[in-house]
Amino acid sequence: MIKIDNLIFKYTESLDNAIDNVSVNIEKGSFTAVLGHNGSGKSTLAKHTNAILLPLGGAVYVEDMDTKDENLLIKIRQTVGMVFQNPDNQIVATIVEDDVAFAPENIGVPTEEIRERVDQSLKAVGMSKFNKEAPHLLSGGQKQRIAIAGVLAMRPKYIVLDEPTAMLDPVGRREVLSTLKKLNKQDGMTVVLITHNMDEAVLADRVIVMDNGHIEMDGTPKEVFKQVERIKELGLDVPQVTELMFELKQAGLNVPENVLTPNEAETVLFDIVSKGTENKIPLHTHADETPAIEVVNMSHDYAVGGPYEKKALQDITMYIPKGKIIGIIGHTGSGKSTLVQHFNGLLKPSKGTVKVDGTDITDKKTSMKQIRAKVGVVFQYPEHQLFEETVKEDIAFGPKNLGLSKEEIERRVQEAAKSVGISEKKYEKSPFDLSGGQKRRVAIAGVLAMEPDVLILDEPTAGLDPKGRRDILNLIKKMHKEKGITIIIVSHGMEDIANTVDLLYVLNEGRIAMHGTPMEVYSRYDELEKMGLSAPQVTKLIYETCGQYVCTVQDAKEKVLSNLKDGVLTK
Amino acid sequence: MIRDITLGQYFPGNSFLYKIDARVKILLTLVYLVLIFAVNNYWGYGAVIVLLFFAIKSSKIPFKYILKGIKPIMIFIVFTAVLNLFMTDGDILWQWGVIKITKQGINYSVFMILRIVLLMMGTSMLTYTTPPVTLTDGIESLLSPFTKIGVPAHELAMMMTIALRFIPTLIEETDKIMKAQSARGADFETGNLIKRVKSLVPLLVPLFISAFRRADELATAMECRCYQGGANRTRLHQLKLTITDFWASLVTLVFIVAVIVLNIYFGKVIQ
Repeated sequence: MIKIDNLIFKYTESLDNAIDNVSVNIEKGSFTAVLGHNGSGKSTLAKHTNAILLPLGGAVYVEDMDTKDENLLIKIRQTVGMVFQNPDNQIVATIVEDDVAFAPENIGVPTEEIRERVDQSLKAVGMSKFNKEAPHLLSGGQKQRIAIAGVLAMRPKYIVLDEPTAMLDPVGRREVLSTLKKLNKQDGMTVVLITHNMDEAVLADRVIVMDNGHIEMDGTPKEVFKQVERIKELGLDVPQVTELMFELKQAGLNVPENVLTPNEAETVLFDIVSKGTENKIPLHTHADETPAIEVVNMSHDYAVGGPYEKKALQDITMYIPKGKIIGIIGHTGSGKSTLVQHFNGLLKPSKGTVKVDGTDITDKKTSMKQIRAKVGVVFQYPEHQLFEETVKEDIAFGPKNLGLSKEEIERRVQEAAKSVGISEKKYEKSPFDLSGGQKRRVAIAGVLAMEPDVLILDEPTAGLDPKGRRDILNLIKKMHKEKGITIIIVSHGMEDIANTVDLLYVLNEGRIAMHGTPMEVYSRYDELEKMGLSAPQVTKLIYETCGQYVCTVQDAKEKVLSNLKDGVLTK
Repeated sequence: MIRDITLGQYFPGNSFLYKIDARVKILLTLVYLVLIFAVNNYWGYGAVIVLLFFAIKSSKIPFKYILKGIKPIMIFIVFTAVLNLFMTDGDILWQWGVIKITKQGINYSVFMILRIVLLMMGTSMLTYTTPPVTLTDGIESLLSPFTKIGVPAHELAMMMTIALRFIPTLIEETDKIMKAQSARGADFETGNLIKRVKSLVPLLVPLFISAFRRADELATAMECRCYQGGANRTRLHQLKLTITDFWASLVTLVFIVAVIVLNIYFGKVIQ
């Protein structure tokens, strides 16, 4: 058991306690999910369980070992293994098996036993056949499983994971979660999972919700998630089906509120609804549309001639209509990032053409400066590109490069900052002193200040907590409405963008697998699943129960209410 | 662009050259380097080229790929060759004003080209066929006798391992930041020297910040995995000498003898 007793912790540079008098026990063999918005203290709490941080007040005991006792340090760290968010920053060696061997080597395990532990750990995470690979060539999910194996090789009794799936795509998430589930069920490993993803928390047998260094809620997933309003107040989210049940209950239906999985929801709905006639899926036609970007038969090859040669994109033809919000979805490595880099000439096609507002980017006479002023790209984790001393200077970097007048730069900076909700008093601050979400806004403003006709956002919500995700998506909708620009959102998340985009392109293995309105695409949820993507939970649920297509919780609620069986009454 | 650099990379394979013990391979490469500079006539270079040819053939790495490694330093090679060609005093063959070509100059510049190309190709054979981890293991093991006189063998090896591990990550990162800043209209390719150096600020600041963040996270992750320095550490891989090492050493020895004989028999071409 890990016993946390009246723990208090404060970072030297901050005024408030990061952990404010928390007492909690983690039972052996349990699977606990820890939720909470960014800065709620969950990572700080986690780092106390293996003496990376030491309590300022109170105490932490790992199987009766006090973490403050320095002589027990190595023993404690062997007992509680820890895995972090970014798999790249926790893999030490250049070969998978050498990395897994790192911890046992440090502890001084004899060579033959290291071999045994490495093989066992890799087997436990299902990565045995990758033992000789170079980690940087693996997918995110695979890398994260290597990181887990590296911890397992210490033979710990507890494994604490700090947002291990935040940087992964749906396939990677599934890989990591099923690994954790298996470790917990088969090997009796105690798992503590910090996450922002509610569908992951549902798998745990206990959910702890943190806020401002306190534990706000603690109970089984059913007990915690049925308090939908409370959860939302804390800046979190509930699974879509739970939200649907909550909405139905609000509408007066007699449905249980502690429904967590689509299967449970299906059972509930089968009792109260009957299948209606299949609704017509709105199809996308390109009538009355002018193209912002047109791609014809485009292909792109990487590293031609080397050992890692790869056909990144093949035979892409697409049409991005002006003034719309377009989603491009696909799992990591499907080629979506490569594709959008063609839209502003950062990459050139190996074959085919890309036209931006009628101008061919492959034409040698085309000025890239003009293309880049027209098409702005906000890359993944854009806050990592900030470099200036003040927020204002950073936003002004793009307009300055365009060679605009001082007054025009000033105007654009003000306008862009306003659009993303950065207030004037932050202008002279260092961008590095802002919070994660604020930094991302500044970075988006930096691109917006170039006043592009087309704005591309690559994974704009990656790494944010549920509230941060909602805020950014609302911001995108607001920018679209105010400025009337074309927006392209690149993502592997599906639920997030369901009610944001007008048109969706699905990329799979470098080809366009399908495209159309969100409903058109989501209605093919079986195919999406095969590609390692997922449709919103409610799409499948409502089709199977009501026989109708939806893609948001609101639509789902309406469909349920309009297909109620005779005799099912609303109160 | 930046990803195309092949120099110093490992090329996965499983041929004869891959099976030689890292320590032996490092020592043989050192011997080879000494040979390149000890040779003083074209016959000797013939022998060294044959040795390199054997190495390349037995590695089964496409020759084209090895040539690609030379490409980035082509300008450097041409520059040294031209400098030697025109700047060496001796028997004048051709003259135009202060510019002259001498017999010695031609020999010097050909020697320089041969030395640089053979050096690059030879050392890249080591890095192409030895996984970086094995290479650092080899270096650590070769240096370990010197720990008594204060050489931090383990720490050096650990630093190298981490550097090697993060090279691809940081190259990728550089590429990403460059693209992101280019998308904001940054120009890394044109302008005079001062302008170009200045244009690196938007690239270097984020790169350093990210490197520090990574270093910080890596240090925590290493601590979580009980890292406490080199003391009492054990190893997964223990280096072992095999018959392959004997054959490789023997072949190299034959060539050492050949070069010495050729050097004495044909005499010096350059002073």
